[in-house]
Amino acid sequence: MENDPQPRLVDELQRMQREELLPIEKKLITWSIVLGIVLLAVLTWASYTFFPGQ
Amino acid sequence: MASWRSLLKSEDWMSLWLGLFIFALSMGLLAGIDMLGWAVKTNVWTSFTQIVEPVSKGYAGLGGLGSLLLTFLFLLVIMTVAARGLEANVRRFAAGFVVIFAASYLCWVAGHFAYVAATPDKLDKLGISWSLNLTGEAGYILALLAGLVVGNFLPRTASRIAEATKPELYIKTAIVIMGAGLGVKAVEALSLASAVLFRGLCAIVEAYLIYWAVVYLVARKYFGFSREWAAPLASGISICGVSAAIATGGAIRARPVVPIMVSSLVVIFAVVELLLLPFAAQVFLYKEPMVAGAWMGLAVKTDGAAVASGAITDSLVRAKALAVMGVEWKEGWILMATTTVKVFIDVFIGVWAFILAILWCTVIERRPGEKVRVGEIWERFPKFVLGYVGTFAATLALCLAFPHLVAAAKTASGEANVFRHLFFAMTFFTIGVVSNFRKLWEEGIGRLAAIYAICLFGFIIWVGLLISWIFFHGVTPPVVGG
Repeated sequence: MENDPQPRLVDELQRMQREELLPIEKKLITWSIVLGIVLLAVLTWASYTFFPGQ
Repeated sequence: MASWRSLLKSEDWMSLWLGLFIFALSMGLLAGIDMLGWAVKTNVWTSFTQIVEPVSKGYAGLGGLGSLLLTFLFLLVIMTVAARGLEANVRRFAAGFVVIFAASYLCWVAGHFAYVAATPDKLDKLGISWSLNLTGEAGYILALLAGLVVGNFLPRTASRIAEATKPELYIKTAIVIMGAGLGVKAVEALSLASAVLFRGLCAIVEAYLIYWAVVYLVARKYFGFSREWAAPLASGISICGVSAAIATGGAIRARPVVPIMVSSLVVIFAVVELLLLPFAAQVFLYKEPMVAGAWMGLAVKTDGAAVASGAITDSLVRAKALAVMGVEWKEGWILMATTTVKVFIDVFIGVWAFILAILWCTVIERRPGEKVRVGEIWERFPKFVLGYVGTFAATLALCLAFPHLVAAAKTASGEANVFRHLFFAMTFFTIGVVSNFRKLWEEGIGRLAAIYAICLFGFIIWVGLLISWIFFHGVTPPVVGG
């Protein structure tokens, strides 16, 4: 291989192997969303209480 | 030595120095020395003689063309010096820059044509009976379209100017300059400014936690992407486009080809968003201007496209509010919401990449003995943010400590703003140039584009709108003369 051609997106995607979701990935996703929803309530309250903006 | 060199070699650092240099020159006014008054100001025009003039009356003798020439030469010199620092081919850079500046400025001028740009309150003064009410920022859209034409139909020209086609360098420099202007604005409404900062931070925390997780889940579970592809893709689509995809790719040790391909897709979709979302915001959010601004920061990817869309939204929304409700909001606050959100996103990329790196190397792809250094957060930290925060804080502190300097600081930021607009216009043009739709289509973009489109238009944009609404609804910029 004297000149390696640039990898093409279509080839890369075809070569991709399917990988099952690991428990740690599920945990990461779940915790992230749960934390997001809990913080949404806390931060909304903090915003309107301490930084009314007008 | 190596670390000192990095202070010049990366676009990130270089944009910081360029922005600070222009900021420092503008601040000469605080000591009574007008060092940027010769810069060219572009007016809304009906005849050619009205188009350009020096930004300061003190330099009126120069005439419009003299100030334009000086502005061009100044930018050519400092950008060529920057290119040398970045180890670019200086000749090719200078040649490319001339074309980019000329094309961008022509578009900027065309966008200021009165029938395109004039707002309703200016029609009588300009002696016209109608206009598209798009404000001068229409020039940005024209620059983007011109860049798209070059990028997609004039490949030779695109290749000739490639050395100077650096949208990230231009936009980051503009953001550093913008900090000073926002600092002056913040003095006028401290409570509002602190609310924008805090709420912007809140919006970002939310966006990171919700966006990334959902896009990662969709990519892994429903589109069958491997972890190596799904993580940079989730960061690219959900967080901040190119830099997030690259940082995440590095964090999980993906092959370089992965973030690069994700990045090229990010840029293409950012252009689509840039053309659609500001106009959607003008139609549906003109009563909620700060929601519109924050939405641009949360929904439009890449620094360039996001801040650029914030600038257009700022103009479009204010123009519509003036036309429909008769309310004239002060310029720059909507853009401030966009920029604040975007800057916080950039700051958090390092933290997020660090978290992913820990997870990947300790659990997902466990590598014995490998540790993640806390210093990596700093390495991934976008350095131009220091300039934005620095110019913002310095101007704010100066104006608070010495209130008699506020008027001079306003004039100074107005003069520096000339360069911000020019850097913005060049950002738009070069974003267009690098957005080669045809090439990506030929490479088989289908599956990747499908997940991107589904997540972006089916989820990211709407959740971004909801988060922006929650944190910014009811907040409005100060009224002119209020």
